[in-house]
Parts: sequence; C-alpha cells; structure tokens
Amino acid sequence: MNWFRKKHNPSSGKEDLSLKELLNICKESRDFIFFSQGDVFTVSYYKSMVDTTTVNRDILPVLTRNTSLSLDELKKVLPVESIEVTGNVTDIQNKLLNGNILVQQPNSDRCMLIPATSKEKRQITIPENEYTVLGPKECFVESLETNLNLLRKRLPIPELYVKEIIVGKLTKTKVVVVFIKGIANEDIVNTVINRISNIDIDQVIDTTYITQMIEDNNSSVFPQLIETERPDRVAGVLSEGKIAVLCDGSPSAITGPTTLVEFFSAFEDYFLTWHVASFFRLIRLLAVTFSVMSTPLYVAVLTFHYEMIPEDLLYTLISSRSGIPFPPILEAIILELTIELLREAGSRLPSKVGQTIGIVGGIVIGTAAVDAGLTSNVLLIVVALAALASFTTPVYKMSNTIRLLRFPFLISAQLLGVMGISICFAFILIHLLKLKSLGSPYIGPVYPLRLKDLKDALFRLPFSQQTVRPFTVLSEKPVRFNPRHNAAKQTDKDIDE
Amino acid sequence: MNMLKGTSILLPKPAESKQVSAYFVFYLVTSMQIGVGILGFERYISKAAGNDAWISIIISGLSIHVLLWVIYQILETGQNDIFGIQKHLFGKWIGGFFNFFLILYLTVFGIIVLRSFVEVIQVWMFPDLRTWYLSMIILVLVYLAVFGGFRVIVGLTLLGVIYGLPLLLLKFFPLQQSHFYYLEPIMNHSISDLYQGSKIMTLNYLGFETLFFYYPFIKDAQKSQKWAHLGMLFTIAIYLFTGLVSFVYFSKEQLAHTIWPTLSLWQTVDLPFIQRFEYFGLAIWLFVILPDLCMYVWAASRGIKELFHLKQKKGVLLVLIIIFAASLFLTDRQKIDMATTILNKTGFYVIYFYIPFIYIYQLIHKKVRKKG
Repeated sequence: MNWFRKKHNPSSGKEDLSLKELLNICKESRDFIFFSQGDVFTVSYYKSMVDTTTVNRDILPVLTRNTSLSLDELKKVLPVESIEVTGNVTDIQNKLLNGNILVQQPNSDRCMLIPATSKEKRQITIPENEYTVLGPKECFVESLETNLNLLRKRLPIPELYVKEIIVGKLTKTKVVVVFIKGIANEDIVNTVINRISNIDIDQVIDTTYITQMIEDNNSSVFPQLIETERPDRVAGVLSEGKIAVLCDGSPSAITGPTTLVEFFSAFEDYFLTWHVASFFRLIRLLAVTFSVMSTPLYVAVLTFHYEMIPEDLLYTLISSRSGIPFPPILEAIILELTIELLREAGSRLPSKVGQTIGIVGGIVIGTAAVDAGLTSNVLLIVVALAALASFTTPVYKMSNTIRLLRFPFLISAQLLGVMGISICFAFILIHLLKLKSLGSPYIGPVYPLRLKDLKDALFRLPFSQQTVRPFTVLSEKPVRFNPRHNAAKQTDKDIDE
Repeated sequence: MNMLKGTSILLPKPAESKQVSAYFVFYLVTSMQIGVGILGFERYISKAAGNDAWISIIISGLSIHVLLWVIYQILETGQNDIFGIQKHLFGKWIGGFFNFFLILYLTVFGIIVLRSFVEVIQVWMFPDLRTWYLSMIILVLVYLAVFGGFRVIVGLTLLGVIYGLPLLLLKFFPLQQSHFYYLEPIMNHSISDLYQGSKIMTLNYLGFETLFFYYPFIKDAQKSQKWAHLGMLFTIAIYLFTGLVSFVYFSKEQLAHTIWPTLSLWQTVDLPFIQRFEYFGLAIWLFVILPDLCMYVWAASRGIKELFHLKQKKGVLLVLIIIFAASLFLTDRQKIDMATTILNKTGFYVIYFYIPFIYIYQLIHKKVRKKG
C-alpha cells in the first residue's frame, strides 16, 4: 500500500539539538542516572538499559582510579571493547538509548561512550507452534543477537550475509535480511532490501508487521511469506537459496520466496523417511480439500441436488434431518460459526482452561444442538471433521486462510449448488495464478510446470533426488550437490558377493 | 512505440517475461479444441457415417494436422500474429477488413461457447436458471483472468487439462455394459458418407487456429511445432476414445435421440457415495471451457488493440459486453443451434479455404518481393 511506502523527509531537526539540551531532556526520565565524580568527569546513563554489574565492577573503578587521564587514554585502559570517543550528538543520543555509558570531562567538548548494554532475554525454549517429535528443539527468542547466533551456528560460512536496516520512527527496530551470497538470487535480495528500506511506519513490533508491508499483494487472503520460529527451518530454506528476514524483539523469521505447496509441508517431513513424509503431505492436502469443501458440498447437495445421494445414504440423511427447522445453509452457517467461536475462545483463554472449554463446550453444545433438533448429526460430524482437518496445516497463517475460505464457498454453494462451488474455486484459482511471492509465481511448480521441482512439493522424494535447488528461487547456483559422490560408495555388487 | 502517431502499424513483440515455454502449445492446442462440443458430437457424426463414424474422427483429425503445418509455415514466414501478417500482406485497409472479420469470428466463438455451456447447465442442472445470471458470473471470471494477461490464461489452460483428464476414467463404467458388435461391420459406409462425417467432425476440432493469435507469446516458437502436433494427436485420441465409448454403448437409434451422450454416460457412474455424476462432471467442465472463453476474449481484444489502437483493457470490456448482450438474445434451442451452425460453416471455410489462401498468397508475395 502506498501510504506505507512514501519516502519521508529524513531531516527531522534532531541534529540541531546540543548535548546539553539532550541531557536536559534525558534527565526528565526517572531511570536516567547523572552524576559527577568531583569535577573531573560526569557519568550519565539509562539505568534500565545498562548492565549494572558491568558498570560497577568494570567501568566505575577504572574511572575513579585514573582521574588524571584524558578520554583517549582512558579508552586504552578500560577493559571494554568498542569504546567510542565522539562529539556527534546524534551518535551520542543513539548510543545512550542503546545502553551505553556517557562519560564527559569538563574541559573537553568530546565525550566517551562505553557500551554496557544489559542483555535481557528469554531462555531458548522448545518450539510450541511448530513442534516436531524428531529434530532440533530450539526456537527463536526475542533477542536478535541470539537468533543470529542460532542461525550462524548452523551455517558457519562467511557467505552468510546479514544486512541491517532500521525501521520504525519510534521503535527504531533492527531488521536484518539474511541470505547466502552466491546462492540466493541477487535481484530478489535487492527487492527485499528495497521494500524494507521503503517502509515508512512509526512502529515495528514484530516480523509480522514487516511481512504485511513487503508482501506482493497485501489484499490477498493467502499468505505469501512463511513465518517460522524454527532456526533449523530458516537454515534449511537459506541453503535452498531463499531469503530470511528477522527483526529484533520478535521470535519469528520471515522466509521467502515461497510457493503454495510449501505452506503444507511441515519441517518434520525432512526428518522422516521419504515415503512417510510423502504420505503425510498427501494426507494434509486431502485434509485441506476436505476442510474447505465438505460443508459447502453438504449445502449444495441438500439444497439443489438431492438426486446425487445414493438411496441407502438418503435414508440416513433424511432421518437425521427430519424435524430440523432450518434450511441446510442456515444450519451449516450456524454450526460453522459455533466451531469458529469455540476455536477463538479456546485460543484466547489460558491453555489449560482453553482446552477444557473447547472439549466440554464442543461436546455439550454439539450433543445438545442435535438433541434439541437444531442441527442434524450428520452435519455435526462433517463440520467437526472439517475443523479437525484444518488443523493439519503446518503453517498457522495458512490454516487461518483455510478457516476463512470456507465461507465464500458456503455462500456460492447456496447460490448455484456444485456449479457455485466450482465457480468459487475458479475465482480462487485465477487469483492464485496471478499471485506472486517476492516476484516468483505462487503456485509453482504446478504452473509454471517444473517437473523437477515436484520432487519436494506434493511428495518429498529422498535426499539423493534433491540435488538441485527449487526453480522458484532462481538461485545463482542451482546445483546443491553431486549425487555421484554419494552413489560411489554403493558399488554395484551382485547377490552374495 | 507510439501507436497513435502511426510510426508502426504492428504491435511490439511481447517481453520475454510475458512469454511461455514452447511445450505449453501442447496444452493450448488440446484445450482450445475441447469445449462444449465434445459433450455431444457423437450424434451428428453418427447420423452421417453410422458405425464407421470413428473413421471420420481420424480422417478429419489428420486433415487438421496438415492445416497445423500450414499455419506454422505462415507464422514462421510472417514472424508475427495473424493480425500483423494480414496487415503486412494486404495493406492497411484490406488487411484491416480481414482483421475485423477475425475479431468478429473470435467474439462469436466466445458467444457460442458461453451460451451453449449455459444451455447445458440450464437443461441438466437448473431449469429455472436465468441466462444472464450465470453468463455474468462466468464473464466476471473471464474478465479477472484476461486482465491477468496471457500467462494466467495459459495457467488456466494447463489446469483445465489436468482437471478434465480424470473425467475420461469414468468411461470405465459404460464400457462394462458395452456392445462391441455395434461397430461391426467395419467400413460398410461409402466414401461420401465418411466425407460427410469428417466434415462435421472438423467443426469440433475448431479452436486450434487460435495459434494464429498467441504465436508471438511462445518462447522459441519454431520449436513449438512438434508440441502443437502432439497436442493435436492427443485431441484426436480423446475424441476417438470418447466417440468409441459412445458408439459401443448406444445403438445408432439411441444415439440419434441423445443430445449429450457424454453426460448420459456419466449417469452410468455407480459409486457408493454418489449418483448422478453428471452434476459433478458439469461443475468440473467449467474449467474446461473457461480457458477457451478467456482465449477468445483475449485474442479478440488484442485484435481490437491492433486495429483501433484501443487499450486492451477497454477492448476486453467491449468484447465481454458484446458477448454478454449476444448471449441474452440466444434465448432458445433453435436460435443457439442456428448460431452454432452458422459459426461452424464459417469456421469450415476459414480453416479449409482461408488458411491455405493466406499461405499461397504469402508464398507469391515473398517471391514477388524477392524479384522486385
């Protein structure tokens, strides 16, 4: 959207501030410490931003012992790295707010900045949203440095580039674009960097903010970038030639360019043997189709095409629907909304209570609704199964999309029966055909048809087949490894040799 | 290139990012040839050639192969779409007239495809359905797709083929109750009967000539010829299979009274969870006719752009409005049948007389130029 992308005037008048005025503004805050050591030097810092142990143990003792030294000499004595001596007020302001200690001497117009940032962070925990039984159990945290550490640990190569961009006029959030140079496509990297630098917004709280602003089409219901909390997944896609974006204060990374099928591939697929993984992927795709189509089909068939139901099934349906006062569409919408209600209530409540409410609410309301003759139990089964099926989607954002997609299908089923479902599907298909993710076609490898890329789409073939990077990322180095090196070990031996 | 100043009368060659790979011609040729016609072609050819009608399917298919070759000769010499070639060959006015005729031809094709699909839906699914209602919804779909450009249309084509193919598997059900002796005795019809059958059959193959319009959008277009022929072979195979199944399932008398044999055959599908499969089949059929419709609208609007220097976006809207209005006038079976017959006759002359005519004219034109 244009209003995010407008270039703003970079000169905001902050340069005009003198050091004294800056300190006066800072002193208004309770957590700003300002004291003079005799008349030799003054020390000031934000107490909330610095690590007090470092200050009291390493910095202050040195300062008090060496009162006669100048700032440049002090710099050599202090046991702290990257100390800066500067007179630039903007610099001083930024450093001060990032947890540096400002040391001034009355006879000098320059001052010294000693980094003593306190690193408050959460422990690295087990991924909760993308839990896997096998594989690493590390998860991103809110600290950018920790997250980069988790990544670099997995890809210890100098080609792993980390480009930093500051976004947000108020939050000054550090956003980094991570990619492997020589593998990731330069143009796509530049597109991402450009899009991020052109963001004009006052606050960036999470990577999801960035996602919404750099997506190719942000009025689409389909997510075009994957957000993940797993460092191993990010490392995996980076080596495929994709690009990741992390941001300080957010425990998730954005990865792209991506395709529709990638949203249905769990990272655990790579930890399982390929037959099992392929089977699970097919199950997931079936589940999604079922989840979106089942209730609309029920409505379409019962409203328009009851001839389609075989005789034996018809008796079951009639007996379950007899005495129900609503037409199928109303019945379906009520039940679907109830399920959405339970799901939403369950996710807002604390996890323990949420589960109870969900199960009890679901069973009690469901049984009562059938007993009271408000809905048919066949539809109840269909809706509950559809809800269950929608949970199989491994990427949270996509499962939300699937929740939403059901409703336009329901309405079109009411209007034109199975033809309506087909028309609605055509609308979505045309939209998907137009959609792009960072400039790459969204429904590749199906269209444009890349038979080679199908190795890791609907199926996941064994690693020995995964020798080339996906075509959608337009990698600078398409070949991943030479399968012959692996094949050489298995010589062609005859039986019992 | 400024169109209005008349610095050039030809459209610029599309950028490579707008082009598609050569093998897509396979899907394009096949998909354009399969539309509403395949649902009910058996009745007409069986009327002419009886149990030997399947030979007509092959004969006319082979003749189309020759025409495909001619089309490629014309396009490779001209290195442009047909609008450009005609302008080049016949000059601004006569070429413009021919171009206008082609735009009309494409538009009428669009009207017939849309109206006959809506008719099938009205007869089989919703007898009370208003024509304008479904026409409008489908045209909105076409509008969205065509605005996405040629690549989106090709995507729809590919998906249309993928969705449509499994429907062939359903022929398994009628084959179980088929009578192969309906085909015997083989070759008991005269050559003229076969010719009549082939002539009628040709009309079902119409649509391959859209190649004239999308040729500049194919990467390495010269290499696409084999794909076009393969696509044509595939179409023949599908028509032959569909036809044969109908001929062995229905007797000649039954077939004379069955307007849409494919739909009737879907009724024989017997699955434990579904009956009356033709409802599903028709819903899926939307994806088979949608790319055809999009292609006609796209090609027509491109012609309008070239002829009247009208923005293609406006041209698309114009064509869609004409199709919508015209589909409202075709209110009953007789009118639709009449329009289809007129179009088929025109199509017959276009492919068997007009295409060779251009080819020969182009050859002479080239020779005269060389001498000059």
